[in-house]
Amino acid sequence: MRGTILLTRLAWRQDRLLIAVWTLALVAFCYASAAATPSLYASAAERAQAAQGINDNPAVVALYGPILDVHSTGELSMTKATVLYAVFVALLGMILVRRHTRADEESGRTELVSAGIVGPHAPLTAAFAAATGVFVLLGVLVALADIAGGLTIGGSLVFGLSWALLGLVGAALTLVAAQLVPSARTCAAIAGGMIGVLYLLRAIGDTSAVALSWLSPFGWATQLRAWSGPRWWVLALYVVLVAGLVVLAHALRGRRDLGAGLVTARPGPATGAPYLRSSPALALRLHRGMLIGWTIALLGMGALMGAIAPGVSGLLTGQAAQEMIRRLGGPGSLERTLIAAEASIGALVVTVFAISVVAHTSHDEQAGLAERALSTGATRGSLFAGTLMVAAGGALWLCLATGIGVALGYRRDAVPVALSVLATAPAVLVVVGVGVLGWAWRPGWYVAGWVALGLSLVADQIAQLLNLPSWVGGISPYSHLALVPSESFRAVPALVLALIAVALGAAAWVSYRRRDIG
Amino acid sequence: MTTPVIRVQDLVKTFGRFRALDGLRLEVAAGEVHGFLGPNGAGKSTTIRCLLGLLRSDAGTASVFGLDPWGEVGAIHRRLAHVPGDVTLWPNLTGGEIIDLLLRLRGVEPARSDRGSLIERFQLDPTKRARAYSKGNRQKVALVAALAGPAELLILDEPTSGLDPLMERVFGECVRERAGNGTTVLLSSHILSEVEDLAERVTIIREGRTVETGSLAELRHLRRTTITAQTPGPPPPLDALVDVHDVHVEGTTVRCSVGPEGVAGVLQALGRAGATAVTSAPPSLEELFLEVYRTGVAAAGDGS
Repeated sequence: MRGTILLTRLAWRQDRLLIAVWTLALVAFCYASAAATPSLYASAAERAQAAQGINDNPAVVALYGPILDVHSTGELSMTKATVLYAVFVALLGMILVRRHTRADEESGRTELVSAGIVGPHAPLTAAFAAATGVFVLLGVLVALADIAGGLTIGGSLVFGLSWALLGLVGAALTLVAAQLVPSARTCAAIAGGMIGVLYLLRAIGDTSAVALSWLSPFGWATQLRAWSGPRWWVLALYVVLVAGLVVLAHALRGRRDLGAGLVTARPGPATGAPYLRSSPALALRLHRGMLIGWTIALLGMGALMGAIAPGVSGLLTGQAAQEMIRRLGGPGSLERTLIAAEASIGALVVTVFAISVVAHTSHDEQAGLAERALSTGATRGSLFAGTLMVAAGGALWLCLATGIGVALGYRRDAVPVALSVLATAPAVLVVVGVGVLGWAWRPGWYVAGWVALGLSLVADQIAQLLNLPSWVGGISPYSHLALVPSESFRAVPALVLALIAVALGAAAWVSYRRRDIG
Repeated sequence: MTTPVIRVQDLVKTFGRFRALDGLRLEVAAGEVHGFLGPNGAGKSTTIRCLLGLLRSDAGTASVFGLDPWGEVGAIHRRLAHVPGDVTLWPNLTGGEIIDLLLRLRGVEPARSDRGSLIERFQLDPTKRARAYSKGNRQKVALVAALAGPAELLILDEPTSGLDPLMERVFGECVRERAGNGTTVLLSSHILSEVEDLAERVTIIREGRTVETGSLAELRHLRRTTITAQTPGPPPPLDALVDVHDVHVEGTTVRCSVGPEGVAGVLQALGRAGATAVTSAPPSLEELFLEVYRTGVAAAGDGS
């Protein structure tokens, strides 16, 4: 028990910066959203109209979930927070738990502390306890931020609770994923993938079959009705799920050795494949599993999103909705709007892939692996090219794969639909370019890529909420591109963004050539 | 005299405010096995990283094969092989895959290298994933990859750390074979006895500076053994014997520092006194430095 408490405190100590930044960003976002609503919509009627507008747009419902009570100010204020930004809460749970379970185990740190007074289950308990502490804090702060922003006290508290519980779902999922495989990266892929699937399940459920939303903890966040007559029993669903996952994780831990996965590792090839002879080939080999996994996942996600598109116009029966569809140019236009929205989600997901590749390269360098390659005949140029090839080339490939998935699911307008995600590639490459430039400056600075992605996500939002000048919203490269296929492709912004991406790459190369390795 | 394979003059490397290298000098002639000694944190690995072009020095010059390691990485690296002090490997590749990759990156075709025989000699299982290797096995992977191909220069940074004594011996044989074929070897270590068997010349550094350099014969005064013995009665007087220093007596225990000429005399005296236990230990580097400073031999010497 003492060991567990020590490990919990150690986890907080190691993560205090990450926890502080992440919590502050989410709390600030909630406060800004709550405080801005009265100025955006002056009267109750305007708010109800805005809420109805959200419900009438399937693309928006797919992203944020529906608004169940159009007269609730709280629900309107927290539209984006309820489900979409809750993904970041779940991801924080994943990051916290993975670091202190599988990542520590892979690096040998767990073995170091296991020699002390801690049992085999202590690292699991400590990681989960550390995450629980963080989410209690986050839940309370978010509730206070909402109250300070002028929302009802009861609703704010239930909403804060729903975020804390979603964070714990992310943590508990990762606790299970960490027991399955020896690699911390694969653990992140499994846990991140599960969070993605649960979000997607809800997106499909909310736009076509609400029963599916009930299979996802993200769907529960909407169905909880935090702001008007909460369904308290929904909270029990979270508790049962989290408890079940934690028990499962401990049971799995009892069935495996330290450092091992559930399946004993089989011997691999005794010799290197003939193609494995250059830095780019190594980069490709190291990311082979990741590329295959992401390709399958994004093809599947695209196909599902494409498949639900034709059903959406049938769901819209209201007068206003029919009017909007008519104005858009008929049901076909509505579907294309949804597909364009799906393409922009795809763009964000692909960006996550590419920044992860840069992050891997950076971590490998800090572990001494760049030195290993560079002390042979491999040059910095080939190492740089290998990283860029997998990050940028992989991103382009996955954009295409996602689009092809959507086209396969949608079965109409094959070419423009298949290219819809690829049309966002220049923006993806600019954000990735920022990460590459950061890495090329100092290995740990690849984080600039995550910051750029985060800013791109919220810039528009923040600018609108805080009445900032319009260029602030424009710093998101994604906002400058045409929404294919609902708009036709515009070459100029795409070309400008592509040139910016190339310039970032060139600057990165200049910097990478001149800096110390390791 | 031909151009030295490695020549480092007054090298300075700072990390923020910390001066890792502070005017370091090192010269390794073609075909020699050169011991590169210093306590932990003395700057051995930093020097090697500068020689490999991984770090850019702040002042001074370094050359490998007469070339600038920062500017002409490719030309230099094709002619050398390197074993790092702290071997990390790609966790999801097997040892065999990593050996082949590292060889090919140097332009060596694994099928035509000594890969197979070295894997056998080092008793390495090449089908295991690097994640599952122990420290010693990771070291073996790096050693096989470095030794399997032809190289004019071997840079070995504490290469035996984690190896068991049997494998250390195999390693010693391998290095001797390479040296016999004319390969130049830079062998870094923090233990003098480890390089004694292999090296002809050594350079000792501390806090980023060269403390001593020369042939082992020249550094003979550094090769003292610490002998500790237990005797049934009061220990025999050892002070008067040839090449015996720093005698300490505590009850029936005697400890002294003995040069090469004095060993036989001390052992005889202890034998006559009916010693019940005798241990001998090579001097630690810190003891050597004390000795170097005390005798005033210390100089940022260039080996002449």
